[in-house]
Amino acid sequence: MAATDSSSSSPMCNLSILDSLDEILVGEMTDSWNAFCLATDTLLGGDSDLSFASDFVSHVRNLCSRGLEKLIVEHFLCSMEDIFEKNGASRFWKHFDAYSNSAVLDMEKLDQQGEMQDVLHKALEEILSEKQYQEKCLLMLVHALEMCRENNPNEQTYSESERNYLFSKYQLTVSSVLMASLPRHFPDVLHWYFKGRLEELSAMTATGCDYDNKLHVDDGMDLDCKTGEMDIDGTHTILGNNKLVRNIGEVVRDLRSLGFTSIAEDAYASAIFLLLKAKVHELAGDEFRFSVLESIKGWIQAVPLQFLHALLSYLGDSKSYGSPSSGLKSPLASHPSFRYYGTGIPSEGLVRWQLRLEYFAYETLQDLRIAKLFEIIVDYPDSSPAIEDLKQCLEYTGQHSKLVDSFIAALKYRLLTAGASTNDILHQYVSTIKALRTIDPAGVFLEAVGEPIREYLRGRKDTIKCIVTMLTDGAGGNPNGQGSTGDSLLEELNRDEENQENSGLDDDVNTDDKQAWINAQSWEPDPVEADPLKGGRYRRKVDILGMIVGIIGSKDQLVNEYRVMLAEKLLNKSDYDIDSEIRTMELLKIHFGESSMQRCEIMLNDLIDSKRTNANIKTTIKQQLQPVADIGEHELSLDNLNATIISSNFWPPIQDEALNIPGPVEQLLSDYAKRFHEIKTPRKLLWKKNLGTVKLELQFEDRMLQFTVTPLHASIICQFEDQTSWTSKNLAAAVGVPVDVLNRRIYFWINKGILAESVEESGDHKFTLVESLVDSGKSGVNSGSCEELLVGDEDAERSVASVEDQLRKEMTVYEKFITGMLTNFGSMALERIHNTLKMFCIGDPAYDKSLQQLQSFLAGLVAEEKLELRDGMYFLKK
Amino acid sequence: MATVNNTHHQDSNPNTPAAAAPAKQTVPTPKAVDTQSVLKRLQSELMALMMGGDSEISAFPEEDNIFCWKGTITGSKDTVFEGTEYKLSLSFPSDYPYKPPKVKFETACFHPNVDVYGNICLDILQDKWSSAYDVRTILLSIQSLLGEPNISSPLNNQAASLWGNQEEYRKMVEKLYKPSA
Repeated sequence: MAATDSSSSSPMCNLSILDSLDEILVGEMTDSWNAFCLATDTLLGGDSDLSFASDFVSHVRNLCSRGLEKLIVEHFLCSMEDIFEKNGASRFWKHFDAYSNSAVLDMEKLDQQGEMQDVLHKALEEILSEKQYQEKCLLMLVHALEMCRENNPNEQTYSESERNYLFSKYQLTVSSVLMASLPRHFPDVLHWYFKGRLEELSAMTATGCDYDNKLHVDDGMDLDCKTGEMDIDGTHTILGNNKLVRNIGEVVRDLRSLGFTSIAEDAYASAIFLLLKAKVHELAGDEFRFSVLESIKGWIQAVPLQFLHALLSYLGDSKSYGSPSSGLKSPLASHPSFRYYGTGIPSEGLVRWQLRLEYFAYETLQDLRIAKLFEIIVDYPDSSPAIEDLKQCLEYTGQHSKLVDSFIAALKYRLLTAGASTNDILHQYVSTIKALRTIDPAGVFLEAVGEPIREYLRGRKDTIKCIVTMLTDGAGGNPNGQGSTGDSLLEELNRDEENQENSGLDDDVNTDDKQAWINAQSWEPDPVEADPLKGGRYRRKVDILGMIVGIIGSKDQLVNEYRVMLAEKLLNKSDYDIDSEIRTMELLKIHFGESSMQRCEIMLNDLIDSKRTNANIKTTIKQQLQPVADIGEHELSLDNLNATIISSNFWPPIQDEALNIPGPVEQLLSDYAKRFHEIKTPRKLLWKKNLGTVKLELQFEDRMLQFTVTPLHASIICQFEDQTSWTSKNLAAAVGVPVDVLNRRIYFWINKGILAESVEESGDHKFTLVESLVDSGKSGVNSGSCEELLVGDEDAERSVASVEDQLRKEMTVYEKFITGMLTNFGSMALERIHNTLKMFCIGDPAYDKSLQQLQSFLAGLVAEEKLELRDGMYFLKK
Repeated sequence: MATVNNTHHQDSNPNTPAAAAPAKQTVPTPKAVDTQSVLKRLQSELMALMMGGDSEISAFPEEDNIFCWKGTITGSKDTVFEGTEYKLSLSFPSDYPYKPPKVKFETACFHPNVDVYGNICLDILQDKWSSAYDVRTILLSIQSLLGEPNISSPLNNQAASLWGNQEEYRKMVEKLYKPSA
């Protein structure tokens, strides 16, 4: 028993007091102390018998007068802690023992939730009553101490701060006791509790107060005003008076008074976030055609924020801070989002909450959209609202790199596979460009995303062809969309460009100081990920065509492929109608320049000239022949003939195939050619008889059929006019083509049921004309599929050498040159081969490849075992 | 039907065989021969040779001089030179094709009409030259000379005398044959 520094007023140890103590005094003090201890125990024991109270007070007073005030307080607090630990805390935790297995909590049964709710309420009630009782005791002690002070004039009166100190110390004791014994599952219990309550609340708001989320999905445009008006007299009042909110508020308050402030906040915060996440998923889901961001924001205002508002104001935290500082306002909350909280000015806590919730919503939506970006882009432009949402989210969260990584992974997995057609890949590429252009006008992320696609497409052989088709064909190169005459990509691009240019023009016109200032203010830095080497954002304006050409490497290849396709198209025309081709050509000229399109232009001019010349020749021949008038004989007049006259130097190489055509037609052709020569001396016509189309009408005993076929097909069937049965060898000789070509082509007529094939004993095939349908019952069956067969057939029989053929031809020349030089020089290094080719391979085609291209070509020859590569020198493989 | 307007561009049309195969017309010799036309002629000869697809003869200009070519011929089948390969050098005069090129064996060749320095005695390379000949015909002539020597005017008497004994001759060819690396 030590009474050291008894006087709180004296800062120094007054040891002389000890000397004045005699034994009697000590004995009295001991007695008094023991009695005090006993009284304390009884008092705190909880039998709330107030008769002890006066006893207790007198003991306290007694001890106080001897300056033992500090000791009393310490002891009292200690005892309270012991008892609270024994009675309060351990009993409190026992309530939750049933939930110690977290698996139990996962089962979200309603009755169990209700049970848990009850348990929590009961436990809180119990422990709080215990706490209240102890506080009452503490108050009693304080009163006693106050009285002592009052009686002793030397002492200062018991101050408010000392009193607060005692209570806060007690509060600390309580929470530390609870914290020290906190079971691990308690936060879970709280989490599930809040989750259950919030869901209940959300359901109530959804149905109870006319707040219908679906309504907002449908007309998200006037969402702001609607929520605003409704909430003033709807949600706010309902939530404000809501029993449920009060219940939750009580629980939170109770938990706070037990020192669980942060645990409680964590629990309801995580519950809110969980609910928000579920809401975002529910609203956004797989729906890309509507913007959901506004409805999510609306929901945040309507449910969690209202709840928090009610909760915070219930707890008394919602103090107004004068005017909210602008820095705390949500940067995206453009509308006055807080006007419906009654008071008008939100508390700082609420603003923080809103920021947190909105960020979380943005991030959740962004993650959701990024994960589905591939599908979204497939649906583009229908899905542009989703893209718009994503853009806003990314502006807020700044997690662009996440998008790039995830999208590239999706592309590699889903698009850049052998199963995807080149067309599909190209379309997705274009959609990607368009979609990402919205998100990232500078094209920085697009660069990263586009590269794998470009890389992959370069490995595909039909890429160039598909690109050209896509650019120039209305159907977008999609074989399924033959009927639709949608605009070609090129036209679309052109339209875009015009728009861009117009807006750009405006900028230039208004370059007064004011406008310059506005421009300067709207300047934004490049995204951090931007590659400084690639120039500023304005120079890097996304150019879809440029990005497409970028796949191939050079526009020349593209133009070349277009030339071949154009030639094919023009040669198959019979009516000189080239309006759409001219239009496409003009568009291409805008993008690729006049000079690169020169040859194509000449081709089109050939068609225009042909039309004129054709008409001219016909009229003049008619005039000449009129007096003779002997052309009725075969019913073949020049009216039936239209010629396309081409300047073959400017056309791609044309497949030449010898062909005997029927005499009268031959005669017609030579007449035509003669007349041409007369008109256009010294020019002469050389017919390419295998090209063009022939319209035929076949008359049989019982039917009449019309066809549009190639000249070869026509010649074949003409042979059956005089002789109804031919062996393949004879027929081939008559038509003037090799037997295998004939066999291939004649299937057209066999499939039409017009010819029948039989194998003779000599092994020769024999074809016979089927004069009437009765002879062959099968013709009707076959007629359905032959159309496709013809299409497939004609695919193989192109009239113009394709770009690949040309390339192969070029490469054969190079190969021969390389073989030639290696034969004579033994071995050569890459560089020397390159230089030698450059020097001597200057005919047609001239060597125009780069060192790298040559290297890969040589590598190909090495792989074919034609060459060998040793120590950087190439050898012929012997 | 499509036709070809085959008029004023006829001579420059690279697809016509006339341009690829050099002019076969005989010598109305213009006095001034410009280098440009020689170059053109050699160029087209090279193209024709490369595209000709002869596997037993070959020639190609040296790296930077189209007037100096290296040639390669292989010994024809069923001759004593079967399985051998000989390198030649061809040097064209500036008034080619009105004058023949100088052709020499680079690889030592044991042959009645080839001397130890590789000089060749072949009429078309001397007095019987015509501008209708080209690299290809020269090489083919030399190749056939290997199997059918002109014994009457030998440059290598030993070879000429041994020619009668084909078996011995073959052995001699094998012994003296030093293929270039």
